Parts: sequence; structure tokens; C-alpha cells
Amino acid sequence: MRKASPTIALFPEASFGAALNCVGIAQALRARGARPVFICHAGFSGVFADYGFQEYQLPTDDPLSESERQSYWQAFVRRHLPHFRLSPIDQLETYVAPTWEAIVDTAANAEAPLRQLLARLKPDTVVLDNVIMFPALAAAGCPWVRVVSCAETELPDAEVPPYLSGLAADDPGRAAFEARYLAAVAPAHDRFNRLRADAGLAPLPKGLFLEASPDLNLLLTPTVVRRERAEPLDPARFTYLEGCVRSEGPFEVPVFPRNGGPLVYVSFGSLGAMDVGLIERMLAVFDRLPARFIVNVGGLRDSYRAVPDNVYLDAWFPQPSVVAKSDLFIHHGGNNSFCEALRFGVPSLIMPYCWDGHDNAQRAEETGVGNHIGRDGWTEGVLEKAILGLLADNEMRARLKENAAQMALKPGTDVAAEAILSLIRT
Amino acid sequence: MQAAARRPRTNHLDLAQRILDVARQRGFEAGAHLPEQQIASLCNVSRTPVRAALRLLTEKGVVRWEAASGYRLAIDLATQATMVADLPSAEEDELAEKILRDRSARRLDQTVTVGALMRRYDAERKTVLKSLKKLTDENLLDRAPGQSWLFRRTPDDPEAQGESYEFRLLLEPAAILAPGFRLDGSRAAALRQGMEALLALPDAAFDIREFQRLDIEFHSMIADGSANRFVTGALSDHLRLRRLPGTYAGVNVFRLKQSLREHLTILDHLESRQFEVAADLLRVHLRLSRNQRPQAASRGAPALFGMISRPD
Repeated sequence: MRKASPTIALFPEASFGAALNCVGIAQALRARGARPVFICHAGFSGVFADYGFQEYQLPTDDPLSESERQSYWQAFVRRHLPHFRLSPIDQLETYVAPTWEAIVDTAANAEAPLRQLLARLKPDTVVLDNVIMFPALAAAGCPWVRVVSCAETELPDAEVPPYLSGLAADDPGRAAFEARYLAAVAPAHDRFNRLRADAGLAPLPKGLFLEASPDLNLLLTPTVVRRERAEPLDPARFTYLEGCVRSEGPFEVPVFPRNGGPLVYVSFGSLGAMDVGLIERMLAVFDRLPARFIVNVGGLRDSYRAVPDNVYLDAWFPQPSVVAKSDLFIHHGGNNSFCEALRFGVPSLIMPYCWDGHDNAQRAEETGVGNHIGRDGWTEGVLEKAILGLLADNEMRARLKENAAQMALKPGTDVAAEAILSLIRT
Repeated sequence: MQAAARRPRTNHLDLAQRILDVARQRGFEAGAHLPEQQIASLCNVSRTPVRAALRLLTEKGVVRWEAASGYRLAIDLATQATMVADLPSAEEDELAEKILRDRSARRLDQTVTVGALMRRYDAERKTVLKSLKKLTDENLLDRAPGQSWLFRRTPDDPEAQGESYEFRLLLEPAAILAPGFRLDGSRAAALRQGMEALLALPDAAFDIREFQRLDIEFHSMIADGSANRFVTGALSDHLRLRRLPGTYAGVNVFRLKQSLREHLTILDHLESRQFEVAADLLRVHLRLSRNQRPQAASRGAPALFGMISRPD
């Protein structure tokens, strides 16, 4: 027998992909009578409340002032925009390693307040959607669930390409990438293992920052892009989800001064929207194509001038509702975006710039659900050909629509909610 | 240009609107007689434009013509506040809407010239000038030296939206608290009905445009009810900016429905003349409505609020 209204604490990392994916799961939990609440990092409070969920913000010892945050991001963007144009292997030292250092900092800073919060909150289950372990979860006295909301590559296997590599599984460069990855992240990894030891947790093997949950692990990997593993995951502990798409309000397609042709949605996430130069170059190509383009430019709308008549810019869109009405989705390969494209049967044109975007770009092409082009080095002709090619590929579209109908029969949010609630007994 | 020729003139549209306002204020019910002479004197105009405006309202089904008795109100104005928005728009109004839409999408620069607008919209000079005058009258545009006009800053970026909420937090509760606040009862009743109808819709069918209309109407009703004319004027000017495209983009349905429920609670207290409680609830409502979403986020990085300047 299950407790009537169990408290499920969802703890997504401070990124929109994880946050909104957890909103989808929380909506399904709420529909089943549970009490989903959010534990969030400073800066994300308000995001979940707007969907009607209680939030508990993790206090930080060293909150940044508004101007310090501005400075941080100015420096972040200045430093990393050039790195986003490098190959995955060349990003290891420039972007991946510093990011792991920052993630370890996040885990270290969160540990004490998280322990206190969980002791007070006494959740029935904690759902962690992150790429690193927080030792406080293991000590919370309740089951914890791991959500793998990155690409499936996050869970290593001999038949699965290395995480963040953008390689095919049998790529001859695999060993070289793995060696360089382990070397690049070693300092962060050593530091993290010391943090774990201090908290009484066993060290993790090299390159790993998060273990599988002993109770339940949810993978946002729809069947159509799933990989055959040398060692299949234990179905008792690992549940695949056909995406995890939240419910959003309706989206009304705006009227364009040049109002004809298929609809293309472009979003590179909040970080990708910082690359104004790239988006400007793309707008010049869009201007001459017989299609309408909806482009997410984050808070940088004022950076654009003379936007073409078949383009509409805005700071934020109810993405699932927009994707549902689109004929093509150009994105960065974030797993949430990729799953949304699949869920609505829309081809993906992936232009990755970091992290698992590289892996999803490779996988989209391998499985025939889209195409990818590099972030840098493309010509106007290459982009035009890629867009028009996907828009004209009726065979791919039919296959994707059929697949989407199958995915709709088994919504990932529902499967996730049922699996989470199955952990709870009175 | 034939279609343009059939469009009603702005002054007839304005007058049609005024006739409806007068009818509503005087509590005219469906079927009420609308004598041309009485309407003309109530609106301070002659009978000729009144006849044209009544014909316009007849075409929209708001008013009906009876050979024996003349014009009669065909609908219940207390419950059908939407139809004013359904009136056909004049050519210059349509152009003004297009100009706003294209500015919002950054298809137009902050500075525009008459010549460029004529070419872009294939419009006559006088139509462009009328549209620019309309936008200037609505405080959306300023005349700049030469033949150019300058768009004013609108709350369509996070910083400006924040400032807009701060401004409204200062003035909207004050509008209620200034001694002599008067609630327009029939306007409140129509609003309540509209908000309850919208709340009853399932999320997937939620009409964001209707929310925008009701939201502006609710806050405008509070501004108009203030006994302080300067507060009314400042708020009315500012609330007009919320009509602009994109103002309501990105707010999810859960929050919009929550917002409607907050409106209804405030309305309860206004109707029972508990003005201090209503002002406090309004303050809370505005604070909750302010968008808290960070502008950028990334693994391991602190979430960013407000604007970031264009990267190099």
C-alpha cells in the first residue's frame, strides 16, 4: 500500500534542460496525488513556482551580487565562445575540465545546506537530475532516483561512444579521446573523491562523478535512438523513458510579414543564445529561404537589427508547444530539445557547441532522425542545403511521425512518475 | 486598394467605441433604444457621424436596426466586453499594429522615417503619418529631428520589465488607496464573467490573447477608478504599453490562471469596499507576476538575471 500523498523532492541541476524535464515529471507526480517539491540552486527559485510547485532554495555562503554575476557571465562568454567552435576533443582542456571543476564546487557548497534541508523536509524520495553525486542524498534515509537527462553516453559501456566525444561507437579515435578525457578531468575528479571520502562515500572510478542509484535510474533515451549495450542495463533498476516532455500552454504562431512556407524553430538554449554572431549569420541565410523561422535569442533581442521578414525573435518560448507546430527544429543537441523533437516527430538539425550536444548530433545522423553541421566552418550554402534537405525529406518525416505516435502512447513523464511512486511504501 | 476604401474611418470607430462606453456607463440593457439625437448629444457630436457609427455597430451585430423604432442595442454590454476589440480597424490602425509588430521583432530599427515606412508597407504618406501620430499619441513614439521618429523604450526586455513592475508597484496600490476610489460596477461584472469563463477552459485551450485583454482591462479599471487624476493618467499611459506584442510571451498557463484567481480575489475586496486589503493583495499579485526566470544558466555557473551586453 502506498502513502497517500508522498513528498517527492526533485533536485535538478541549475540548467533549463534538467529543470524543465523535472517539471514534466513533477506534473505527472502531482496528477497522481503526490506532493512534488523542488530543491533548487540560488537563481532558479521562481522557475518552479510558476508551474505551481513549492520551492526550497539552497542557501549559499557566498551569494554573488548582481554586478558580480554580470561580470562572471561577461567573462564566461568571452572565454568560452571561441571554445564552442572547437572539436569535442579540443574542448576537453578548454571547456570540459573547467566545467567539471565548477560542478565539483557546486556539489561541495551544496553539501551542508542540502543535508540540513533534507533532514527538515523528510522527503519520501529524492529525484536527482544532475551529472554529479551529492553525498547528502545517500544519507537522506530515503530512496534516491537518478535521472540521466543527458545523452545515454553518460552511462559508459564498451558499445557506447565515450561521453561528450561526439564519436561513433567504433571510431578509431575512441581510445585517444578517453585517455585525454581522463587526464583533463583528473584534478576535479580527485578533488571530488576527497569530498566523497569526507562524507563517508566510496570513491568513484576515474572519469565518473555519479554512481547509479541502487533504487531507480531513469534514462531519457527514446527507443529510436537507444544503443545496444555490451552489458545491458538491469531492467530492475534502469528504466528508459520515451522522452520527458512537460505540459505547456498553447503557442500561437505569429503572423510574419512574409508569411509562407514551413515553420522552422531555432533554439540553442540560454547559453547558445549568447552567440549573437552565429545567429546573425544564420539570419542572413534564413532571409533567402522559403520558410518561416522562430528564433530564441534569450535576453539579447536588442543586439539584432533589420531582422528578415520571415523571422520572428523572442526571449523565451513554450518550447514543446512550438516544436509541436514546427516542421524542423534547429538546436544545440541538448537532450531535452532532442527528445522534444522526437516526441513531436520533427527532424533535428543539430549544431552542437558543447557537452552531450556532440553525442546527440552524431546519434541523430546515425539513426536517421536528423542531421548535424559543425558550429564553425559552415558556409551559407551548407546551412541552406541542410535546412532544405531536411524539409524536403518526406520519408524521414513519415518515419518520425510514426515514431512520435508510438512515443505518445507511453509518455516518459507518466512512466517516470509511476516508477518513482513504486519506490514508496507506507 | 478597394479593401482599404471599405475600411471604416478612425473617427467612426472611435465614436462607435464611445457610444458603447456611454451605453455601458448608463446601464443600457439588451434591446434598449438608441435614439440618434440622444446619442449625438451624449457624445457631443452631430447626428451624421452617429448614424455612421451606429451602422458600423449594426454590421458587427452589436446594434440592430428596426424600421419602426430605429436603432436598438442587440447585446448585453455587461457580459460582452469583448466585442469592442472585434470592431474592424482603420487602415492607419492596421499599419500602426504592423509597425509595432515589426519593431517588436526588431525588423525595424529604433529610428524610422516616413519614407522608409512608405516603401516598406507600400502605404500612402498620409496613412503613414496618421499611424505615426496614433503611436505618438499613445506615447510609443517620439518625433525626432527631421523626418524621423524614435520608438520609446517598451517593457520587452527583462530590465525594462522589472522597471515596469516597480513602477506599477508604486502606483497601482496608490490608485486604490487615494481617497475617493470608485469601482465601475458594470465593468467589474463584465470582467468577473470574462475571467471566470477563461479560468474554466482546460490548459490546452487557454486563450493567451483573451488573458492579455482581461489583464489590461482589470488593471485599467483600477487606474480609471482612482480619484487622483495624475495617478490615473500615468498608469493609463503605462498600461497601454502592455498591449504591445510579446509582453505576455513565455508565461505559462499555470501562472496565468493563478493570476486570474488573484484578480478575482482583489475584485471581491474592491466590491466589498475593503480597499486596504485590495491594495495589499494587488501588491502581492504584482510581485508574484514579475518574471523570475534567469536569462542564462549553465552547469556549474551561477544563474544570470537581467541583461548581458552583446558578447564581443
